[in-house]
Amino acid sequence: MVIQGITGSILAFEPELDRVSHPHLAYVKPGTRVLSLNEIRTAVSRQFGGEPIVAFEPSLSPRLSSQLLLPSGIAYVNQYTGEVLGVRVRGQSFLGYVRALHVRLGVGALGRNILRWSAVAALLSSVSGFYLWWPMKRISVLFTAGPKRFWFDLHNVIGICSLLPLTLLAGSGVVLGFEDQAAWLIHRVTHSTAKPSSFSERKPIAGASMIDADEAVAIAQSLMPGTLPYRVQMPEYGGLYRIGLVNPRDRITGSRNSVALDPSNGAVVSVNRTADLSISDWILAANETVHTGSVMGLPTRVLASFFSMIVFVQALSGAFLWLHRKKILQPAAHSVLQVRSK
Amino acid sequence: MKKAILAFLLLTVNVMAADVTGRWSGQFKVDGGEHDVPQLLILKQVKNQLTGSGGPNETEQYPIENGNIDGNRLQFEITTGEWKFTYDLKVDGSTMKGHLELKSINDRRSASVSLTKAQ
Repeated sequence: MVIQGITGSILAFEPELDRVSHPHLAYVKPGTRVLSLNEIRTAVSRQFGGEPIVAFEPSLSPRLSSQLLLPSGIAYVNQYTGEVLGVRVRGQSFLGYVRALHVRLGVGALGRNILRWSAVAALLSSVSGFYLWWPMKRISVLFTAGPKRFWFDLHNVIGICSLLPLTLLAGSGVVLGFEDQAAWLIHRVTHSTAKPSSFSERKPIAGASMIDADEAVAIAQSLMPGTLPYRVQMPEYGGLYRIGLVNPRDRITGSRNSVALDPSNGAVVSVNRTADLSISDWILAANETVHTGSVMGLPTRVLASFFSMIVFVQALSGAFLWLHRKKILQPAAHSVLQVRSK
Repeated sequence: MKKAILAFLLLTVNVMAADVTGRWSGQFKVDGGEHDVPQLLILKQVKNQLTGSGGPNETEQYPIENGNIDGNRLQFEITTGEWKFTYDLKVDGSTMKGHLELKSINDRRSASVSLTKAQ
């Protein structure tokens, strides 16, 4: 639980921390005109000796650079000038290790199983903690009665103040840890099914050659007005243009829109809209945004990070109480009896 | 003794002459993962050079990069986007097994691969 709390607190700001650790790659000065994907491709190809581009990840913010996924690494590009800011090679990083700790304790199936059951234990701790808090309803910390009383009060006060967010974090963590079982259960309860991907064949354009990435994005956006492209997979890698589109107004499932296009003529091969998600898929997506704190943007991410760290404080004070359980429980039990006798 | 040496030589020649050209299907499983991920490799061998493509199915294929064969050992890479897959496989008749390393910009995972040759 301590590891999950500390690592969760860090991961709530994973994108920002990743950018801060590579500021020369991540940030750009906003310009007047954003280059087209083809212009960026041409500029990058010149600097990489014609290395093929696997996918574009256009910037969604005027102050952040765009990324190009290459076989040799990830190129960061100024979308206003075409300048390559640098390349990161693939491999383990500090943040990747933090994520591995949070998801699987840095090891394989054993670590994953330990963590999913510790999430269950955290959820049960929230319930049992509330049960233990209820008789005395302690909501203040007595600083003058020695360290034992201080830790006892602190554990009680922090516990009751953070009960709801900690229960949400633990509960959503349990669902993530047992996602297959949760999906099965939600599906059974809601009887929901996803709408199949919609297909609409377009007639090939006579004499047309391969469509380019900008044309592919224009076709995809025409099918989903109001969305922005966040990923454009090139057809040399996977056979089709696969365009991921984000709806900025939908924080829960907004990035689950996608369009696949035949590169030879622009025919739409498949369209996946968030509106077509089943209720169970939507619930699982919502659960994930609750767990990461992204459900309402930056404010809830700050809260998720803060309360993840609270897990560490509660574990520390809880361990202290357990080590001194006899000396603390005796007067506490006495107080309970006093309260109940009134 | 002569028969044993002859059998060994025949086996060695057979392994050295292994041609992996063709379609290989199977799956990989990431260490700590819960699900098998389907794999379809369409390989073409010319001497010790390996080309072709790989992916989860026939319609989603990614080009093989830096492919080579040394005896019964195959090594090649596939880039799918964020992830680069580095295969290290050993072929034994119509089966192929080995190790796969997956790397993204922040993460590194390993997986076991098992494939069989399509008839």
